[in-house]
Amino acid sequence: MAERPADATVPLSIEDLTVDYGERRAVDGLSLALRPGEIYGLLGSNGAGKSSTIRSVVGLVRPRSGRVRVFGLDTSVDALRAKERIGYVPETSLLYEALTPREFLEFIAGVRRLPAAAASERMRAYALAFRLESELEEPIATLSSGTRQKVLIIAAFLHAPHLLVLDEPLNALDPRSVRIVKDLLVRYAASDGRAVLFSTHTMAVAEELCHRIGILDRGVLRAEGTLDELRGRAAHGDATLEEVFLRLTQEDEGLPAAVALLEGS
Amino acid sequence: MGWRDAWRLSRAPFTEVSFQAIYAFRQGNLAPPDPARTLVPRARRRTAQSKALVGFVLGLIALGGGVLLRAGPGASSTLAAYALPPAEYDAGVLTGLLSIDVALLWWTGLQVLPTFLASGALPVLETLPIDETTLRRTASIVYLRLFDVPAVVVLVTTPLFVGLALGPFAGVAAVPGAVTAVAFALALSFVTGRFFVRKIQGSRGGGGRTVVRWAHLLLWLVPAVAVLGFVSAGPVFFTVLSRAASGGPPAILEVFEAAYPFPLAMLPSLASSGAHGLSLDAGERAELAVTSAGYFALAVYASRWLLGSVRSVARLPTAVSEPGPPPRYELRPQTPSLAILTKDLRTASRTPGYAFLILLPILDSVAIGLVTLADAPSHAAAQSLGLAAVVAAALLATFFGPAFFSIEVLAYSYGRALPLSNRSVILGKAALIVMIYLLAGLIVLGITLVRVPAPWVFAGFVAAELPAVVAAALLQLGILFRWAQARGVPVPNLYAGAWSALIVALPGLAVASAPLVVYGWLGFVGMAAVSLGELAVCAPLTLRRRGP
Repeated sequence: MAERPADATVPLSIEDLTVDYGERRAVDGLSLALRPGEIYGLLGSNGAGKSSTIRSVVGLVRPRSGRVRVFGLDTSVDALRAKERIGYVPETSLLYEALTPREFLEFIAGVRRLPAAAASERMRAYALAFRLESELEEPIATLSSGTRQKVLIIAAFLHAPHLLVLDEPLNALDPRSVRIVKDLLVRYAASDGRAVLFSTHTMAVAEELCHRIGILDRGVLRAEGTLDELRGRAAHGDATLEEVFLRLTQEDEGLPAAVALLEGS
Repeated sequence: MGWRDAWRLSRAPFTEVSFQAIYAFRQGNLAPPDPARTLVPRARRRTAQSKALVGFVLGLIALGGGVLLRAGPGASSTLAAYALPPAEYDAGVLTGLLSIDVALLWWTGLQVLPTFLASGALPVLETLPIDETTLRRTASIVYLRLFDVPAVVVLVTTPLFVGLALGPFAGVAAVPGAVTAVAFALALSFVTGRFFVRKIQGSRGGGGRTVVRWAHLLLWLVPAVAVLGFVSAGPVFFTVLSRAASGGPPAILEVFEAAYPFPLAMLPSLASSGAHGLSLDAGERAELAVTSAGYFALAVYASRWLLGSVRSVARLPTAVSEPGPPPRYELRPQTPSLAILTKDLRTASRTPGYAFLILLPILDSVAIGLVTLADAPSHAAAQSLGLAAVVAAALLATFFGPAFFSIEVLAYSYGRALPLSNRSVILGKAALIVMIYLLAGLIVLGITLVRVPAPWVFAGFVAAELPAVVAAALLQLGILFRWAQARGVPVPNLYAGAWSALIVALPGLAVASAPLVVYGWLGFVGMAAVSLGELAVCAPLTLRRRGP
């Protein structure tokens, strides 16, 4: 098969990605591409392959086959340069718990070789926006999961990345912070050819934020498009995203029976 | 529910501690690319292997103690020079043996306690309808299972080898010493673990608190280096013992009789007959009986207190630090390698298991330096002791290389998403090892300056060994990185990953030792040549640019 030329303006392209964990296949031949200025939502049930896809993009998982390109850079060949362009928020708030948020962000700024003044100014702005001032010198081990999530979000934005990759980023956040992150993502994606890939199983968030949505089911991309396009695929003109999702993944099958079973218990 | 139910209940939380000790998922490590069904059995197997390894080392030390007892004070010319009567010599050897037992068991506890606390294994049980007594017993059993094999080895081998060397009565008389060693070590591990949660883990950043934290860690770790302290201070100990035995100031002997573990170490001599038998007058016997009984009673109390308290540490709330000054918004980014070094030092300052590894070679150097200052009979001997201190620092700093790598396991999944090359990480960690070595060397030089006749020889020795230390660190870290990329991170912590750590530490130790061996034959020139040659081979091997 002839190799497609890399397009440096495409924020993210995934071609025929397959990820295995031992004998279990987590992602099966996934292909998708993000356009500049786009917020792309990966939607799926638990274990659908969302996190495995995201981990492959940020270099945490070595795929069995397939290719991931970030602004034309093949992540298997040019991983460091690709990672320089990515800001990543993991699914679980895994940080260096023995550090304080300020020490952690200082470490990130060092690794990303950021100028001190710019890094300090950004950290200050985000810390104030998230009301993190009183926790900046507390060890991360002592912080709540929501506060840790805020630290991870600041770390992801600290270098003003070209591609944001977020795995369930709104988990554990308070309503105010959720609003801030949503606004940030919308404004961020609209500027300077950037793009956002984020996974969620919260339909309302995907419906509100995403320009396009990819529905993953057992490692396979079942459908992709705008909300209207997905409604068309599901032959459901005025359906909510939840109804579209359940129909496309065929997870609505047996739903009434399951509810009835619970009612009878 | 009884003890049987508590034992049954303890299986799941103990497996969880083993699992987290190996894979550290809660700390951000990634699952290795192996079938999921193999992970738990492997965690159990590796934990058992590590415990067996620690047990084997303790057994070997007990065997060594038995051999020394059997051989008597004339075992070597060095020991013979102290002219100790057999009974005092036996008590001295047993004191060393029991000190090492306490220190090694305590050290094992230090390695696993952060995982024990962070695993969340016990709080899961708290939410279930299980009565208070069973929960308390289950927590105690989980804690005891962390030490089971090493503790049993101490309890069995110490009396066994003492008995074989000095007779069956002496063997029986060694039992209280072994029991107290195990009880004190387990209780000290627990107390220091609790101290860690309350005072260190929750300590705020900035404002000079790092210095206070390291001071806390130092206080906390000083007793844990008893093993090296004792070995380093051995000559002083035997000198004092010799003076006391030959009619020196009685106050010295009384101090010895009161200090742990000496009274318990004297019991086998008391139970022996002939040349190894200790002859004490009635007053001394009474004094020894009181102090021994006191320590034994204290050990019983510590055990009872421990069994009743383990549950509380598992339920400790996350440490909350005191309010501090207004926040600083200033970031001072460093180069990636320096950022790694700073991050590791900050992590170690809140993680006693790592702080221990950094402080051990340094404290050992302080101990040997002070002994050199106080006891070395001549300037030449002082120089030899000083060089020995540097050798110890080089080997210790190198030996713990794999453990410094394991800091990287913390938040590994996040760290790997950063644009951080292996080269930067390896250089950062090698810098830490080199820093420890140089600091230890400088400390010895500083302390012994008045006794060392030719400081430049000493400085030359430190400098000549330096490239070998760098080479050893690079070699170990390079192996670990290749290992990590192929099979996942291999050394989450030393408690469970002892085999992996040992396998990687050995080639590093060989590289660090080679110039020291050559020094004996070829002097500085040969030493420096070998040292530089090793660096010339290891550096390109490890630091050549590859994938991330």
